[in-house]
Amino acid sequence: MASNAQGSHMKALLVEDAAVETLFHSAILHMFHCETTVAKTGKEAVDLFLEGKKFDIVLCEKEMPVMNGLEAVEKIRAIGETDVKIVGVSVDCNAMEAFMSAGADVFVPKPITLDVLSAIIQEIINKKNNAMV
Amino acid sequence: MEYANLRRQAASLKRSLFDQGYLDEQFCQVEDLQDEASPNFAEEVVSLFFKDSARLVANIEQAMEKYPGDFNRWDAHMQQLKGSCFSIGASKMSNECTSFRNSCAEENAEGCRRSFQKVKREHAILRQKLESYFQLLRQAGPARTATRSGGK
Repeated sequence: MASNAQGSHMKALLVEDAAVETLFHSAILHMFHCETTVAKTGKEAVDLFLEGKKFDIVLCEKEMPVMNGLEAVEKIRAIGETDVKIVGVSVDCNAMEAFMSAGADVFVPKPITLDVLSAIIQEIINKKNNAMV
Repeated sequence: MEYANLRRQAASLKRSLFDQGYLDEQFCQVEDLQDEASPNFAEEVVSLFFKDSARLVANIEQAMEKYPGDFNRWDAHMQQLKGSCFSIGASKMSNECTSFRNSCAEENAEGCRRSFQKVKREHAILRQKLESYFQLLRQAGPARTATRSGGK
C-alpha cells in the first residue's frame, strides 16, 4: 500500500486539535513519506498559507476552536490556493456537503484508513507526475 | 517457551476484545503503523487515548453539571471523545458516545445521563483490558522470528 507512494515526499498539512487523532493521522502520513505540518486551529492553517507555505495535501478536521475547518477551507481557497488537495474529515458523516460547499476536494469520514489515504495520495502523485511530463 | 506462551495469551486477549465488540478493525490499523522505528506505537496511541479521554470525560461531566440543558455544548464535547474512540477502534465506547449524541439531538437529558454512565463504564473496562494486553506484550518482549533449534 504505502510502497505505491514511496519517494513521494509530499508536504502535508494536518489541521486537527485532538491529540489522539493528530498522533494517528501523523503516523499514517509518515507511512506515506509525507513531510507533515500540524495546525491546531483553522486560523493556524490559514496563517501558514498566508506566510507562503505550500502543501500538496491538507487533512482538515471540521470542529476546532478559534476557526473551524469549514471556515479555514473557504479562506484557503479564497486566497488563491486552488491546487492543494483538501480532504475534509469528521466523525459526522453529514459534514460532507458542508465541506464540499466550502471548497474541499473530498470528504472522508473518520477514522481515516490506510487504504483511503493511499488512494488519495496516489492520485496526487499521478497528477504531479503528469504535470512534469 | 515463556515468550510463546505470553504471545499466545496476548493474541487470545486481543481476539476476545474483538469478539466481545470492545475493539474493531481500526485497532488493527493502529497496530499496522508500528515499525522498527516505532515498535510501541500502538501502546503510545492507546496510552494517549486514555490520558486524553479521561480529560474529555471530565469536561463532559463538568459541562453537564455547569450547563444543564445545554445539549449543543454537551454534544460538542462528546463529539471530541467519539473522534478519539474512532481513531483507536474503541467500538463499544464510540457506540455509547453515539447514543449520548442521539439523546442530545432529542434534548433528552435523562437519556444523556444514562448514556454517559455507560461511556464511563466502557472506558474503565477497555482501559483495564488494554492495560492487560500491553502488559502481556511487554512481558513477552519484542517479536522474534522462528529459528531452528538443535545441531546440524
